[in-house]
Amino acid sequence: MTYEEKLARFNQHIEDGGKVETNDWMPDDYRRGVLKFVEMHANSEIMGAIPERECLPIAPSLQRKMSLAAKIQDEVGHAQLLYRIAEDLGKSRDTMIHDLVNGKSKFHNVFHYPVSHWGDVAIIGWLIDGAALVTQAALRDSSYAPYARVLKRICAEEQLHLRHGEHITMELSAGTDRQRAMFQEALDRWWLPIIHFFGPRSNVSKDLLLRWKVKTRTNEDLRQEFLDRYVPKILELGYTFPTPVPYRDGDSYPVRDEDIDWAPLDAIKKNKGPETERRLTWRRDIYETHRWVRDAMNEPAAHVA
Amino acid sequence: MEIYEVFKRSGHKDPFSHAGSVMAPDSEMALIMAKECFLRRREGEHLWVTRRSDIHSFSDETLLEIAADKSYRFPEAYRDVVTKREKARARAKGILAERDAS
Repeated sequence: MTYEEKLARFNQHIEDGGKVETNDWMPDDYRRGVLKFVEMHANSEIMGAIPERECLPIAPSLQRKMSLAAKIQDEVGHAQLLYRIAEDLGKSRDTMIHDLVNGKSKFHNVFHYPVSHWGDVAIIGWLIDGAALVTQAALRDSSYAPYARVLKRICAEEQLHLRHGEHITMELSAGTDRQRAMFQEALDRWWLPIIHFFGPRSNVSKDLLLRWKVKTRTNEDLRQEFLDRYVPKILELGYTFPTPVPYRDGDSYPVRDEDIDWAPLDAIKKNKGPETERRLTWRRDIYETHRWVRDAMNEPAAHVA
Repeated sequence: MEIYEVFKRSGHKDPFSHAGSVMAPDSEMALIMAKECFLRRREGEHLWVTRRSDIHSFSDETLLEIAADKSYRFPEAYRDVVTKREKARARAKGILAERDAS
């Protein structure tokens, strides 16, 4: 079979709703595209653990500290699962971590921002995990089956994280004026990054990952689902939105395209966000100081006295 | 380092099923990694790990297709049992009526 025949068969398979396994024939662009996408997801899980880790010392109770630590462990666990999926597509974990800490690969925009108080933990847990869950739930239908399978497990845990974040949000929202002000202040800072999280409008004709059903829905479609689900809940709690302010359209809560300033996201895409350098440096330092762990793993016998 | 495939059993009524894979230097570490990755919330009560290279499979999946028409192995092949049952009952009705009469 010629390459063109194989490609035509592959395209038809995808068109018919078929799935792809690691050892199946796939076009190089498909392999590269899935690898890059899953690698970015894995990077985001491992980098996403850092802002929440920064909040551990300010947890208001031991119970809150333990539950946040467990959530952080889950995120790192997700990274483990996702790096495995990416490794099977042909890039070693060493190379992926190396590329991450040297700023050669990307991670999600929201993890490039600073955290300053416990209100941030509420926003991250409820709204950012909520946004992630909308996108990840859609990816459970991805044409790349090993990724879709791992997402089933990840989504189950994210569901718990969402409950955890909502719990903290409701506690702050039922609390003192100062507690409510903390949530509002965090919402004001995080709202635009959350809107950015879904990305700009998808270019359906050019997006290979959409065409090959690795991604199943457009960015704007996922963003709208998130807005419709969460805006009424936030309004109900008596909070207000900064720009872009959602407006009501029947049961839907869209924002106007012209109200979204994309400049901060463009900077982050070049790894020039407010906290990018500091967090990558921290990750790089840990990578170096923990080298002995990897060495011991690679050659256990040499480390047993 | 090697790839280990991980299997877990959720309860005694369920078979072991594939959970995912981990990278580890040996089976002992693979079990520890698998426990941390897949059993943080009692998702299973037993774990297996095995080297991916020790798993054998068909390289050509078309060999798994059933070669000929073996529809008689599937319940759909017996769907006309309904009409057959009706015919049998109708046939029996005459026999039973004759028997009652005698």
